[in-house]
Amino acid sequence: MPTRRLVIQAGLASIAAPAIVRAQGLSGSITLMSYSGIFQDNYTKTVIEPFQQAFPGIKVNFAPGGTSAQMVGSVRAQKADPQIDVAIMDVTTSSIGNSEGLFEKLTPAEFPVLNELLPEARAAGGEYGPAVTFDHLVLVYDTQNLKPPLATLADLWRPDLKGQLAISAPPNIQGLALTAMVEKMTGGDYRKSIDNAIKKLRELAPSVNTFEPNPDGYSLILNGVVKVATGWNARSQLYADQTGGKIGALLPPEGSVFQINTINLTAGSKNRAAAAAFVNYALSQAAQKAFTERMFYAPTNAQAAIDPKAIARTAAAPDSRARMIGLDWNDVLKVRDQWNNRWRREVIAAAR
Amino acid sequence: MTGTARLKLLVLPAALFVLAVYAWPTLGLFRNAFNETGPTGAMIEAWSLKTSQEVFSDGFTFELTLNSLWLSLSATLIALMLSYPVALFLFRTTSRFRGLLAVIAIMPMLISGVVRVFGWLAILGDRGLVNTLAQSLGLISTPIKLVFNWTGVTIGLAESIMPYMILALLAGFGQLDRTLEEASRSLGASPARTFWRVTLPLSLPALALAAGLGFVLSMSAYITPKLLGGGRVFVLATEIFEQATTNTNWPVASVLAIYTLLLLLLLLVASNIAAKGLQR
Repeated sequence: MPTRRLVIQAGLASIAAPAIVRAQGLSGSITLMSYSGIFQDNYTKTVIEPFQQAFPGIKVNFAPGGTSAQMVGSVRAQKADPQIDVAIMDVTTSSIGNSEGLFEKLTPAEFPVLNELLPEARAAGGEYGPAVTFDHLVLVYDTQNLKPPLATLADLWRPDLKGQLAISAPPNIQGLALTAMVEKMTGGDYRKSIDNAIKKLRELAPSVNTFEPNPDGYSLILNGVVKVATGWNARSQLYADQTGGKIGALLPPEGSVFQINTINLTAGSKNRAAAAAFVNYALSQAAQKAFTERMFYAPTNAQAAIDPKAIARTAAAPDSRARMIGLDWNDVLKVRDQWNNRWRREVIAAAR
Repeated sequence: MTGTARLKLLVLPAALFVLAVYAWPTLGLFRNAFNETGPTGAMIEAWSLKTSQEVFSDGFTFELTLNSLWLSLSATLIALMLSYPVALFLFRTTSRFRGLLAVIAIMPMLISGVVRVFGWLAILGDRGLVNTLAQSLGLISTPIKLVFNWTGVTIGLAESIMPYMILALLAGFGQLDRTLEEASRSLGASPARTFWRVTLPLSLPALALAAGLGFVLSMSAYITPKLLGGGRVFVLATEIFEQATTNTNWPVASVLAIYTLLLLLLLLVASNIAAKGLQR
C-alpha cells in the first residue's frame, strides 16, 4: 500500500517531470563571455556550477572578455561565425550590440522569468537581453589612513586629499557617472547641462593623482598610492571583506548612479537552446539570490528572497535606493563624446 | 625551374604568413575607416568619408599628432644621448666580457613592457625610490610629481627604446675606423677635438639610423603613455586604443590607425634618406 510520502514524491515528480525531461534533453557546450577576475570566480561558483548541476548535459565555458567594449567588439568581429553564446556586459555597450543585430530579442513566452524581473531591469534592455545585475558608483577610501573618513561627495574637495585621488575620467563610464553626480550635487541636472559639474571638477583636477587608475582604484588604495578612488559597489564590498575592512565604500548622500549589466543571447548561437536555458537560469530567483549574497550586486529578479544583510550592502536597500539619480544611459551615450571632450579640454587640462 | 625561381619560392611561406596576419587585418582596417558611427555608438556599414572628415576637422587630432611628435622627439633625444656612449663603449671594448655586457645592455627587451612600467612606478612614484631618497636627504619636503604626467612618460619611453637604439648604433658603426682617430691623435688633436671632428661625424649615419628607429618606436608606443601618463598624456596610440576598446568606435580608431601608419611610413622614408645622405 503506497505510503503518504510516496504519493507526495510521485506527485512532485510528475510536476517536475517536464522540466527534468527538458533539462536532460539539452546537451553540448556554450560559451559565456563576461568580466574576468573576481567576477568570473564568483559567477562560476554561484551561477555556472549550479546551472551545470541542474543541466548535467551542458558545459559552460567562461571566456574572460576584458572590458564591455572589448566584449561587444569580440561579438561584432564574430558576427558571421559566432563563438560566444551568451554575453554579460554593461548596458552602454550591449545597446550597441542590440542596434547592430548582434543579440536576440527575448520574449516572455520563451523566457517566463522575464515576468519576475523588476520593471527597470526589463526596461534596461528593451526587447533585448534584460539587466542581470545592478551596481552603482561609490567612493572607495582608505579606512585606516583617512581621518576623518569620507562622508560626502563634496569631501573630495577637502584640502587634505590633494594628490590622493584616483578618478576614472570619461570615456570610462565611472567618469560619466561622476559627472552626473557632481552636476546634481551642484544643484543642476545632467539632462540640461553639465556646466556646473565641469566647473567644479576643474577645481578638483589639481588634487587628482591619476585619471586612469591602473590596474584599478582599489589596488591603488591598498598599495598606499592614493586614499580615495572611484569604484563600483559590488567589487568594493568584496574587497572590503577580503582585506579585513582596509577599504570602505561610500554611497554619497548627494546621490549615485546605477551601473547595469545585461545578459545577452548572441544571434546565431550554435547551441541556442542551451544558451537560452542558461539565460533563464541566470535571471532565476536562485541564481540571483546566490550571486547577490556572494558579491553584493543588487538583484534584478524582484521575487528573489535575498538575505537582508546582503541587500543592505547593495543599492537595493530602501535608503540607498532613495539616493539614486535616475540616469538613462541611452541619453548619456548620445552626449558621451561631448562630455569626454569637455573633460579633456577643461578638467584634465587644469591638472597638467 | 631556375635557381633564382627556386630561391624565390623560399620566400613564399613568409609572404603568405605576412599576408594572413598583417595584410588581411590591415585591409579590414581600411574597410572600417569608411564606415560610420551612429549617435549611440552603433557601427553603420557604409562607404563614406564622413568619419575621416570628422576626425580631421577635429582640432584634437592635430593636438594628438603634435603630442606624439613631441613625445617621440624628446624620448629619442634623451635615449640617443644615453645610448651613444654605451654603444661606443661596447663597440670599442676588448674586454672578454664584451658579449655579456652587450646582453646586459639589451636585457630590458627581454622584460614585458608592463612589468618595466610598474618598475618605473616603484622608482618614480610619490613614495618611490627617488622621492623617498630626496626627502630623506632633505632636498625636498613634498614629493615631486614624476609619474602620471609627461615627465614620467618621457623617462619611461626613453628607457624602453634604449636597447633598440644601442643595437642600431652597433649595427651602424661600420664606418667608425679606429685608425682615423689614431691619425687625428698622432697629428696633435686632443681627445675632445678628435671626438668632435672625427668620431662624431663618422657616427652620424649610425645616429640617424638609431634616431629613426627610436622615433618610430616612440610614435607607436602605447603601454608607456597609457600606464605612466595617468590619463593626462594624450597621444595617437592611446587615442586609437581608447576609441577601439572603450568607445567601441572602430571607424574613428581605423581612420586614426591608418593616419598613424602613413605618418610612420613617411618618417621611416625620411630617416632612411637622411641616413643614406650622411653615409656619402
